[in-house]
Amino acid sequence: MTGSEVAAVGVVTGWGRSAVALPPDAVRAAAGRRVIAVEPPRAAGERFRRATRECQLGVAAVEALLREASLGPEAIRGDETALVYVTAAAYGSSNRAFIRAIASSTLHFPYTAPSAVPAEVAIEFGLTGPYVILIGGAAATIDGLWQATLLLRRGQCRRALVLAVETFAECEDLWARGRWLVRPPLVESAACALVVPGPWRATYAPAPAPSPLEALARARAGETLACAPLIALALARAAGDAGPVTLTGEWRGRRAGLAWEAH
Amino acid sequence: MVRLRTEPVAIVAAGVVTPLGDVDAFWSGLVTGTDAISRIERFPVDDLRVGLGGEIKKLKRERRGGCRASQLLFAAADDLLARAHLDASPRRVGVVLGTALGGVEEGERALAGDPSARRTAAALYDGPAHALARRLGCRGPALTVSTACASGATSLGVAADLLRADAAADLVVAGGYDILCRFVMRGFDALRSLTRDRVRPFDRRRSGLLLGEGAALVLMARDRDARRRIGRLLGHASAGDGTHVAAPDPEGRGLASAIRIALAEAEVGPEDVDFVSAHGTATPLNDRIETAVLKRVLGARAGLIPMNSIKGALGHTMGAAATLEAIMCLLASREGVVPHTVGLEERDPECDLDYVTTAPRAARPRVSLSTSLGFGGCNAALVLEGDAR
Repeated sequence: MTGSEVAAVGVVTGWGRSAVALPPDAVRAAAGRRVIAVEPPRAAGERFRRATRECQLGVAAVEALLREASLGPEAIRGDETALVYVTAAAYGSSNRAFIRAIASSTLHFPYTAPSAVPAEVAIEFGLTGPYVILIGGAAATIDGLWQATLLLRRGQCRRALVLAVETFAECEDLWARGRWLVRPPLVESAACALVVPGPWRATYAPAPAPSPLEALARARAGETLACAPLIALALARAAGDAGPVTLTGEWRGRRAGLAWEAH
Repeated sequence: MVRLRTEPVAIVAAGVVTPLGDVDAFWSGLVTGTDAISRIERFPVDDLRVGLGGEIKKLKRERRGGCRASQLLFAAADDLLARAHLDASPRRVGVVLGTALGGVEEGERALAGDPSARRTAAALYDGPAHALARRLGCRGPALTVSTACASGATSLGVAADLLRADAAADLVVAGGYDILCRFVMRGFDALRSLTRDRVRPFDRRRSGLLLGEGAALVLMARDRDARRRIGRLLGHASAGDGTHVAAPDPEGRGLASAIRIALAEAEVGPEDVDFVSAHGTATPLNDRIETAVLKRVLGARAGLIPMNSIKGALGHTMGAAATLEAIMCLLASREGVVPHTVGLEERDPECDLDYVTTAPRAARPRVSLSTSLGFGGCNAALVLEGDAR
């Protein structure tokens, strides 16, 4: 059986452009603000003229990953790289714009689909390998990381990108109604992990309680929904912990867990 | 890369709600060539270029049933549970659903001034899957897949992974759903993808698709655990195009890759494929590309394999489509009949495969290949084995 490991994690949040930029206490740092927005760097080129903010964030997270891993884009191009994309709600703003006819043009409609973000990322980086898109919060990202390990184990890819994006600003009023689902501050984020063959066996199972890393990511980043497990991984790596790791993530009452352990 | 064969997963039973009705009505409608396209009545369409679709006219509504997407899922679940039981611990029963639109109609209502928190939560695309899990009492993993119009195929693949992993679930209710609503009709109308004619897959005169709505569910179990089955999922794969947000890759490279990997997973070669359920949307581009890809991947065998598209009968049911097509493959095997392609009358010279036309064909496919494409360059392929009587 092929084991796996996380080779690098790129993070962009409303707090800054790396895990190191996260404050020690997100609630205190938010100082009462409900949403900590992020403005992604505008990707160059005519192709991005219509791309939404969440698409730009997805591209920015992969660029951050490549910087973190000291890799060029050619290292991930082609059909041997899988792309697993997860979001709870990064389609909300584009849906809203379309519903309100702010952007009811022919060309905006495809951007209302969650698949628009990984599509723009795949186009930008030439990714043509296996492709999975999951909808949900942190538990779905655990599912996504597990999917990445399966794709590697089955030989369907040589590496997998697990990408999560969350935006909140355009739908802040709607999120205010869903207080039982989310706890402020809502921190806009995008994060991407590179999963490669490695020494660790991944075990996927329901988790009875939050792992220390889940709690750490919550405390330092705030509410980042699907990005939380990837931010947790980045924090672990920033602390010099690249070995066995246990991740958990919760969404709508379900907590999933993924443990990378020695064979 | 060295690819490992994956364990087949049993498909125990199926349940659907479609413009044709439940599983029995769905099947009889397909073999009789019923065209379920009609004028949309549930919401205004007078301002749209095209107001036709595969609308479900009668749906039993539950008093506390939630949004229409959830109601469709509940109706399909009722059909499923009339044919099979969830005989496992609720903690070991998962739900994996595919959708292109989730609860978007609830989002429209929330933005139109209904401020309820329930409405807001239902507007998230994973809301209906959680509603179905609650309705069924399933306390295992509840996942939502959204690979656009390939979602109903990807969801079966992810469900199979949950079962193979052993640790997560012993049974999975999997499938796909989507509703017809103003949001999606406006979108496709703006794209001018909708035809004013009928849906004509692979026909020389084809001029676009029409949308439909539905929900399709299958109960899946590890093959070694299943006491009965209607078939097996032998292989599944997905692949991205990486070329365009809304249009398929002109060469169909992602679709070709998905088919090749799915066949390899199933340890099945082109010579073993007895039937192809094509995506067959009836857009000029899709049908031409899909035909070319099948010829490239299946080689000389491609022209000898019966093939159909059921979108002429139902419209394109988006997230439900691939699961409905998978169920159709298994029913074809059981019943010894391949439904014909409603709407196909004059074959396009560029689409020169053995599409079943005019009337159903007597055949009992053992191994079927089902292909799907979606916005964002999402492609998926399923390899299914029927459990012939």
